Amino acid sequence: MMTPFYKYGLFGDEISLLVAFLLGLGFGFFLERAGFGSARKLAAQFYLYDMSVFKVMFTAIVTAMLGVTYLGWLGWLDLDLVYLVPTHLGPQIVGGLVLGVGFVVGGYCPGTSVAALATGRLDAVVYALGIFAGTFVYAEVYPTIQGFVNANAMGQVTLPEVFELPWGLVVFAVVVIAVTGFWGATLIERRFRSES
Amino acid sequence: MRPPQLTLNQKLAAVALALGALALFSQPHRGPFVKLDAHELALVVEQEVDHVKPAELAAWIVEGRSDYRLIDLRTTDEFAAYHIPTAENAQLTALAEYPLLRNEKIVLYSAGGIHSAQAWLLLRAQGYEGVYTVLGGLDGWKDEVLFPVLPAEAGPRERALFERAAAVAQFFGGQPRTDGAAVAEAEANVLPKLAAPVATGPAVPAAPRRKKKEGC
Repeated sequence: MMTPFYKYGLFGDEISLLVAFLLGLGFGFFLERAGFGSARKLAAQFYLYDMSVFKVMFTAIVTAMLGVTYLGWLGWLDLDLVYLVPTHLGPQIVGGLVLGVGFVVGGYCPGTSVAALATGRLDAVVYALGIFAGTFVYAEVYPTIQGFVNANAMGQVTLPEVFELPWGLVVFAVVVIAVTGFWGATLIERRFRSES
Repeated sequence: MRPPQLTLNQKLAAVALALGALALFSQPHRGPFVKLDAHELALVVEQEVDHVKPAELAAWIVEGRSDYRLIDLRTTDEFAAYHIPTAENAQLTALAEYPLLRNEKIVLYSAGGIHSAQAWLLLRAQGYEGVYTVLGGLDGWKDEVLFPVLPAEAGPRERALFERAAAVAQFFGGQPRTDGAAVAEAEANVLPKLAAPVATGPAVPAAPRRKKKEGC
């Protein structure tokens, strides 16, 4: 959110750190309020009896997507100025799998682990130490895996561009997938809750 | 008969579906037309937030930053003879077709600074927001980065600053000038060979590239 302001020099390093701190506080607060400060709640996602993580994340995607679309349509937001993380398909699939395995094993993702750390959970302390160790190892092996990390560079692309579909059609399709997904997730929850 | 009672979640899902269906007709991307705000542009120029100092640019290159595009507006021959490391060559007339994105930070330079200022206005008029010029152009780069001068009556502070500038100058293959203008004239025009420090990435204080953290 603050990327364009920072990048175009509308505010400097100090203010960007302050903004990041405030956004981080808000993010952590709502993660904790959603119950995501508990590894039990997060791990339940993978045992399929509580699909909160899936629902919250997909709701965030749909809300942001609709918001950005309508703000752009109204002319209040210039979508061409929004920074997109460059896509590297292969490396990002591998990275996603690494993060996913860590999520199942550790019971947290990076953001929720910090929220849990703030409330003093011991498992989050261990998890945070793991993050530091992992960061260190990654930095050390980076020169040898550099080629792979930067492979498949596709630039700043969006789904409508990749599939050559109209923007609105992709938005509608994602909403339909989300609503169908929520309905399916609720069915799965019912099934696995009764068994456990 | 009473209408069926919907839960909050079902209502929200219905709203999302309705908004999604309406979005089928949306045109969220702005066309090629922009409105120029003359007052805003004048303010940008007056507050001098439209340019990058040569020393700042040098620091970015040493750090190995990759969040900007550096565009050299001079002729192909001049570009081949010497250019600031990491620069791309694009002439003013070809700038409209040159593959630049509106969400990129674009830094322009020419020999003196006039062409880059004109290109700045052209790009701003096409809706590019993050456009900057190198202060003083390539001449500024030479004076400030490649051949920094230690003033004749320099105090300890000036000396310390010069030490830093000298290290940067040597990184870029330049030549710091110590005792005033006399020596300066002789050496000033020898531009460094392109091969050595260009595009090989940071050899001096190699700050690791910071990756932005994303997601949850």
